[in-house]
Amino acid sequence: MNPHYHENLGDSKKDFLRTDAPKSFFLLNAGLAVLYFAVLAFFFPIGNPTLFYLLIAGEVFHMWQVFTFLYTVWDTGFQRPVYVNYTPGVDVFITVAGEPTDLVRATVLAAKVMDYPDFTIHILNDGYVAGKENWREIQALASELGVNCITRTVPGGAKAGNINNALKLTSNHLVACLDADHVPHTSFLAKTVPYFGDANVGFVQTPQFYKNYAENYLTSGAWDQQELFFGPICKGKNRLNSVTMCGTNMVIRRSALLEVGGMCTQSIAEDFITGLLIHARGYLSVYVPEVLAEGLATEDLLSYSKQQFRWARGALDVIFRWNPLFMRGLSLAQKIQYLSSASFYLSGLFIVLDAALPLLFFYTGLVPVHISGMLLAAVFLPYFFWTIYVIQRVSNFTFTFSSLGFSMGSFNIHLRALASAATFRKTAFSITLKERVRGNFLPLVKWHILYISLVVVGIPFAIFREGLSAALLNNTAWAFLNAIVFVPFIRAALPSDSERNPPEVVPAAPVRTKTYAKFS
Amino acid sequence: MQNSLSLPSYSTALDEPQSFIERWSTSFVFVLMSIPVLGAFFFIGQSLRLDESQSLWQVSRSLSGILTLVAGDVHVPLYHVLLHYWRMAFGESVTIARLFSLFFFVLSVPALYLLGSRAYNKRTGLLVAFLFAISPFMNWYASEIRMYTLFVFLTIMSQYFFIRIMQEERPRLATWASYTLIAILGVFTHYFFFLSLIAQAVYFFLRHRIFPKYTLRLFIGSGIVVALAIAPWVWYVLFRGVVGFQEPSLVAPSFVDLFSTFSQFLFGFQSDALNTIFLSLWPIAVILGLVALRRSVRFLPQTEYFIVSILLSFGLTFFGSHLFAPIFVSRYLIFTIPAFYLIVASLFSTYTKGFRRVIQGALVTLMLVTFGIQVTSPNTPVKEEYRGATEYLSMHATAQDAIIVSAPFTIYPVQYYYRGPSPIKTLPEWDQYAYGPIPTFNHAALPDMVAKTTADYQNVYLVLSYNQGYEADIKQYFDSHYERLNARTFSNDLSVYVYRLRYNTVLSAIPTAVTRTN
Repeated sequence: MNPHYHENLGDSKKDFLRTDAPKSFFLLNAGLAVLYFAVLAFFFPIGNPTLFYLLIAGEVFHMWQVFTFLYTVWDTGFQRPVYVNYTPGVDVFITVAGEPTDLVRATVLAAKVMDYPDFTIHILNDGYVAGKENWREIQALASELGVNCITRTVPGGAKAGNINNALKLTSNHLVACLDADHVPHTSFLAKTVPYFGDANVGFVQTPQFYKNYAENYLTSGAWDQQELFFGPICKGKNRLNSVTMCGTNMVIRRSALLEVGGMCTQSIAEDFITGLLIHARGYLSVYVPEVLAEGLATEDLLSYSKQQFRWARGALDVIFRWNPLFMRGLSLAQKIQYLSSASFYLSGLFIVLDAALPLLFFYTGLVPVHISGMLLAAVFLPYFFWTIYVIQRVSNFTFTFSSLGFSMGSFNIHLRALASAATFRKTAFSITLKERVRGNFLPLVKWHILYISLVVVGIPFAIFREGLSAALLNNTAWAFLNAIVFVPFIRAALPSDSERNPPEVVPAAPVRTKTYAKFS
Repeated sequence: MQNSLSLPSYSTALDEPQSFIERWSTSFVFVLMSIPVLGAFFFIGQSLRLDESQSLWQVSRSLSGILTLVAGDVHVPLYHVLLHYWRMAFGESVTIARLFSLFFFVLSVPALYLLGSRAYNKRTGLLVAFLFAISPFMNWYASEIRMYTLFVFLTIMSQYFFIRIMQEERPRLATWASYTLIAILGVFTHYFFFLSLIAQAVYFFLRHRIFPKYTLRLFIGSGIVVALAIAPWVWYVLFRGVVGFQEPSLVAPSFVDLFSTFSQFLFGFQSDALNTIFLSLWPIAVILGLVALRRSVRFLPQTEYFIVSILLSFGLTFFGSHLFAPIFVSRYLIFTIPAFYLIVASLFSTYTKGFRRVIQGALVTLMLVTFGIQVTSPNTPVKEEYRGATEYLSMHATAQDAIIVSAPFTIYPVQYYYRGPSPIKTLPEWDQYAYGPIPTFNHAALPDMVAKTTADYQNVYLVLSYNQGYEADIKQYFDSHYERLNARTFSNDLSVYVYRLRYNTVLSAIPTAVTRTN
């Protein structure tokens, strides 16, 4: 066998980080996108003007997504310098708010054996203010394991408030944040702290890996979504000094954090906004493309939906409250990157629009453009498949249909978040559950099922109106496409999938006996 | 190092234990080889078509005569020479000549299985061989006296050796020799074989790192050998000074033609109505592509190569037709079918078991149904019922009547079948034995041409097919100057019109059930 012939995949912690694709691929992708847009916008007779301009608005949004994606992943090989001898003291914050004690134990045990000379572990126990029953158990756990426990008694600010409270009670130069379920590798600090040797570095982020990704269909789909983000996108953002702060598996320079008033408590996506504010202060951000902590994905659709809503709402707050376009201190690249990340959650609007077009045709005969011949197919198919191929190449073939299905299937969540953000409605912080919630999740996909029902009814309706025309067949195929893309999301809601056994939490076994931790 | 056929693969299907089908794959291939033979029952007895009659006319000459005629045509001579000796050995009937094409189609089935197994795995090899065996398009050309099945067979073998070169650490000399020999035979079978070689060269250029050491030198060496082999023929054609003067004029393809070709590759030659249905459903391709996106399923180099070979062949032919001269004909691109089917089969192998079964079942069912429609429907666009038309002529045209054929080159099938007393003439007038191109149509000269052609005859039987852009002019002229006695359509685009030229002669034997349509 030719040794160059195969490069096997199979290491889930590394595959998504091998991001590389020739720049010529990106240029061709951009060219095909422009060609498709130009043909759609200018080459066909306009049908219903309102639908046409809505369609064009949707395509403009898609172009924005394609071009910002290409801009982001243009070069994913950038690395900031590492100062290996730089080893300041680190406060390790493990944020807890009612998570199972055993799960917290695993994280603390792993943190204790991190291979780093000077760090202090603090369990930030918010169980008391969050009204969780096990807050005392967490305190007892801290005593048992010999780590510090900071239990808040005054509520406010949710997770951000919890961290801000701990900031007042600790003093090390750097702060590492880990969610309760994110078990750090022994090298977590050793591989993140050295970047702070550059005094301009404000925070260092690492991937948010889901070790339970193979647990069920939902965890798998959720991780599939993450891979694209934590693979090429974050690596590209690293080059553009626009790394997204993700709230866990990260290290922050205390002074930078204090400079922006601590973690932002005015948004439910405190991490995203805090990262933005730190960038606006001129600090650098670093993304370390290596799995250095392993957490848990949500295991049921209800928890997933809540998490998606929180992310969407927080991201959309960037558009409506902290719009980077009008924020001083950000570079143009950073403004584009933050707008690009935030606008992803506007896609729900355009998914609904695209999905509605075949329905409108079925029930009213209205079309945005009168397409004859195969010109649209001739420009759309190369553009579409090349874009998919570029995503595949740049994500090292980790982009999946279920990832796409979960992203597009979340349109109703994104729309809800959009409505909430646009009206500045206050939304309570909801902790992502680490245990499976059981129940009937079909109501979460009622819109998807309604859509499929409308398609099923609409097709015979349209046949009755105009017979088996080419336009009908074409719209039927588009409707099927939309319906099939919703299938992964619907499948995740089905009882058969949601009633499997809950995941077994496997505590990370301490692999090092030597510890440098100092316990307070 | 020699490779085994059981290469590691990306498909989940490969992780499954060897199935019954895979264990008995060789036996199944033999079964699959019988499908084309069965398919031939439906097609082998059909009327001779224009291209076939041209082939028979060409190969019925001496070897030098064949070379002369083929040089003036748009083809290369290997098939014609082989067919010449095949007919000498086995007989000169149409059926015998068609069996020659069938022979290469049957051979192509195991060849494609080998290629599919080599490129992917046995299961994919079997699936692609099965799709190929039931392909309405391939079965059509398996019974056509043309070079297309030989062309496909050589393309499959060329791709097989190309993949071996790509996969092996140190390809053996025999592999290179076989590759080169196949390339020589290929370029002597159809000019479009060069597209296949260009695709290989382009793919090598793009992904040279995955090829073994010294591949570039060996490819260059192979290319030089092929060039030297074809050079005398190129010199001969150029020396003759004319290429393609007997070929029907083509029009530049539209995007509908482009996508129709893929539709034909899967579902054969269908009516416009059915073809419109298939083309309108093009977003289904997006669904099939999206569902294939699964964890750790990556594009293998061979898939990239197959895609490049299709895109490049279609792209060059399509855009070349617009930029230079129209050359886009679906049958010329028949050599891309194996790659197309391999992509389809490998795509299916990425699906989950249930979805794969549904999609495979749907495709196979559709192909079989459209195969049946292609066989039975009188609207099948490629059917050319020259036999029926000439039977009609033989029955009705007398020695006082003339038969006029247009376009001129359609004289071949009429001549082949017609055994009656009437002279056969062409419009524009053309002597097929004279060296040189067919005269161009001149509208102003039409009255003189018709007068000259029809002088002294009582009735004219106008056989119109293969519209070259002036068919309507000719028909209108006859309609406006003579009394039309009858009109019959024998197949799509093949009609016979009967006109009375003059009244002052003995009545001719016009059929009693005449439809007068002045």
